[in-house]
Amino acid sequence: MTVRNDEALAVAPPRAIAALLGFAARIPWKRIGIVVGAYAACFVAFAAFSAWQGGNPLTLVQTMLNSSMLNGDALVQTLLRAVPIGFAALAAAIPARAGLVNVGGEGQLILGAVAATGTGLALGSQVPGPLALVATAAAGAIAGAVWAGISAAARVWLGTSESVTSLLMNFVANDIMLFLIYQPWKDPAGSGQPQSRPLPGSVRLGTLFGGQLNIAVFVLFAVAIGMWLVIRRTGWGFALRVVGGNPEAARRNGLPIKSLLLSSMLAGGALAGLGGALNLMGVEGQLQPGVTTTFGYIGFLACFLGRNDPIKATLAALLFSAIALSGNGLQLVEGLDGSIVNVLLGAIVLTMLAIGRKNGERI
Amino acid sequence: MPDQHHRTTTGSPPTPTLEVRELVKTFGTVRANDGISFTIMPGEVHALLGENGAGKSTLVKSLYGVHQPDSGQILRNGEPVTIHSPATARELGIGMVFQDMRLIPALTVWENVALHLSDTPFALRPRALRARITETSERYGLATHPGRKVEHLSIGEWQRVELVKVLLGGLDMLILDEPTSVLTPQEVSGLFDMVARLKSEGVAIVIITHKLREVRQIADKVTVLRGGRTILSDAPPATLSDDELITAMVGEPVAILEKRSTSAEHATAEPIIGLSGVSVRRVDGDWGLREVSLEVLPGQILGVAGVAGSGQDELSETLLGLRQPHSGTVMLDGAIVELPAVARMRKAGVIAVAPDPIRQFVVPGMSAAQHAALWNAAGSYSFDTRKADADLARRDAAGQLRVVAGSRRMDRLSGGNVQRALLTLALTSPCRVLVASYPTRGLDILTTERTRTLLKELCEAGSAVVLISEDLDELLTLSDRIAVLAGGRLTGIVPAAAADRRSIGELMTGKEAAA
Repeated sequence: MTVRNDEALAVAPPRAIAALLGFAARIPWKRIGIVVGAYAACFVAFAAFSAWQGGNPLTLVQTMLNSSMLNGDALVQTLLRAVPIGFAALAAAIPARAGLVNVGGEGQLILGAVAATGTGLALGSQVPGPLALVATAAAGAIAGAVWAGISAAARVWLGTSESVTSLLMNFVANDIMLFLIYQPWKDPAGSGQPQSRPLPGSVRLGTLFGGQLNIAVFVLFAVAIGMWLVIRRTGWGFALRVVGGNPEAARRNGLPIKSLLLSSMLAGGALAGLGGALNLMGVEGQLQPGVTTTFGYIGFLACFLGRNDPIKATLAALLFSAIALSGNGLQLVEGLDGSIVNVLLGAIVLTMLAIGRKNGERI
Repeated sequence: MPDQHHRTTTGSPPTPTLEVRELVKTFGTVRANDGISFTIMPGEVHALLGENGAGKSTLVKSLYGVHQPDSGQILRNGEPVTIHSPATARELGIGMVFQDMRLIPALTVWENVALHLSDTPFALRPRALRARITETSERYGLATHPGRKVEHLSIGEWQRVELVKVLLGGLDMLILDEPTSVLTPQEVSGLFDMVARLKSEGVAIVIITHKLREVRQIADKVTVLRGGRTILSDAPPATLSDDELITAMVGEPVAILEKRSTSAEHATAEPIIGLSGVSVRRVDGDWGLREVSLEVLPGQILGVAGVAGSGQDELSETLLGLRQPHSGTVMLDGAIVELPAVARMRKAGVIAVAPDPIRQFVVPGMSAAQHAALWNAAGSYSFDTRKADADLARRDAAGQLRVVAGSRRMDRLSGGNVQRALLTLALTSPCRVLVASYPTRGLDILTTERTRTLLKELCEAGSAVVLISEDLDELLTLSDRIAVLAGGRLTGIVPAAAADRRSIGELMTGKEAAA
């Protein structure tokens, strides 16, 4: 008996198994456990809250999944909704690499939509289709960049906090849009509603696969991957990380800190502006109050949840989009208030904040 | 005030003030103290000698109740004791002055003392306390101003307040953790006078140091630690040679760099950088540098001495083009440069060993190879981490400073490893001017000697070196000329061959050199 035991100890496990064991050892199981547990805890807390509000916690998850992912139409809606949220998340993620906090995604989305409306209405019927399409989207990006650039310039040359200015400028952006749709751009055929004229078809994004899906979703994914590569594989991305990680080290290495801060914020603003324009061209079709409905802020939270990583932030945007849409199902099927999903959203963000701090990470 | 009840019986040998037997303290898997034994007698100055990480600080923190040892015994006047906390230690008559001084800058001297004393009444009696402070200060020759705010004190006075604070508590054993590293030579001799005074009163003194000179100067006994173990216990230093002590500390003999033979042959060379009448304001509005004029010559080591905060950092930042001077001109190769001009200075071959690498060099989340890539890019946007990784290995072979692997994250390294990485990059880069701030601070003896050799070789290859250091011996050994700063003013530039500790020390206190 003892002999056989010794033999068993002496025999090395086959190489494949050893490799597998080594791989398994390298997976941060504890970390994964914490994150999965945290999400589960959020859902349990949310279910309890829903039950208190009169919902049925047992059918809750099924209802939420049905109304966000499990049928084709719902999935398309989730993907479409993820476009503005995802671009707003990227708009926060790029400046975050340089240590800047861009809370202005909302305003940059709005101004992107405003600029796209103006350009689309002006060019749509006069310029050949593809050119007008590109010009409309580009106008949105430029407007978003300009809007973010104001906060960045104030930070670089006046020393004001970009998080405060970009946040406050959201309200200004909203007022600009309201002014335009109540006054100069008001649709004469809109039966008195404050809204712009609808964009001409030549500057609308066509639908794909016979449904409502449009190309904006794929643009978002492509841009997210592109940004991930830019951050990791370019000198600009590397320099941004140095500035964000230790500005004093950047200064001592002779990096142009001002232009790095400015360019990161401009890039972020351009992405949000593009998102606002694409959302308008693909889904909304005309400027109206609530064209963004806090997508900019949700995007900011998505960026936070994705730890400023472009791809993770975009995935987080998808998750938040799905959660937001599942509110519809809860309202229709469970008879709950649709905005109850904000409880889940808040719980997730707060929980991630807590476990992030606990692991001593920079947030 | 010091408790003298241990001098009781006549004839029999006196009871040790403190005896440590087989003390063990582990942190996780690290055995910081691994069976340490030594004995301190009343009226004895006992030096604890060892490299960084040898376990000296851990040991004295166990004696002062900051750490609880895992096993082993502490005997106080022959009785086994357990020291639960610093408060227990103070009740037992043990006082300690920490390396990182523990005063509250916003409070006055007497308020800080009141905080420390256990017999402070609820309603403070400032006048009585101030009188006590003055009395103790005078008795031990520790000049202090009880009414001044601590933030306005010099480092030397800050330390004297610490000492007064500890002495007022009453003690018969005093622990000093690297007390001399921040002091001018004059302040060091003042401190040693106080130590002698305490010793004559029968107080036992434990002094942590890694300077052999100090061991020779004041210690009656020396205990050498290495890797958490006692290598030498309770040895009289006079019976040991420097080589024996260094071998005990390091584990192998180390060749200590000879004093450089300096000459005036470069004196006619054109200066690479020249400052004339440069004044720099600090962020807090005070003057960092005042009317400083000096020349950085190729093939020379210009030492810069001064107590901490005398303008060294402002000087190095001006030389590196990081600061805009308030007035005065900075010349690079004979042409006036408008500062700040970091990229221009860098392009001209001016590089640095930053005074505070953790704050000024380490980028959180980035690997050593990425730091090398950042260094190699020299202000441009072309970062090649893979090439930099190979480059770092090549530099390590040249520098022999035992740098970590390129894949290691810098923000997770110890201060010593960060310093080695920075030194490897700085000392193996071709350059015209190297501004090295405290290059050997916190390094072990082997790396220190290697660093000094590399500095010397750099200078022999024709580079200019500006060596800013708190270690006067280092400055005297390496420099051609020594510039001395006091309160932002240049109080003198003296040839190292003609300088000694005393003359430099006088300049450090602000006395101008006789022109």
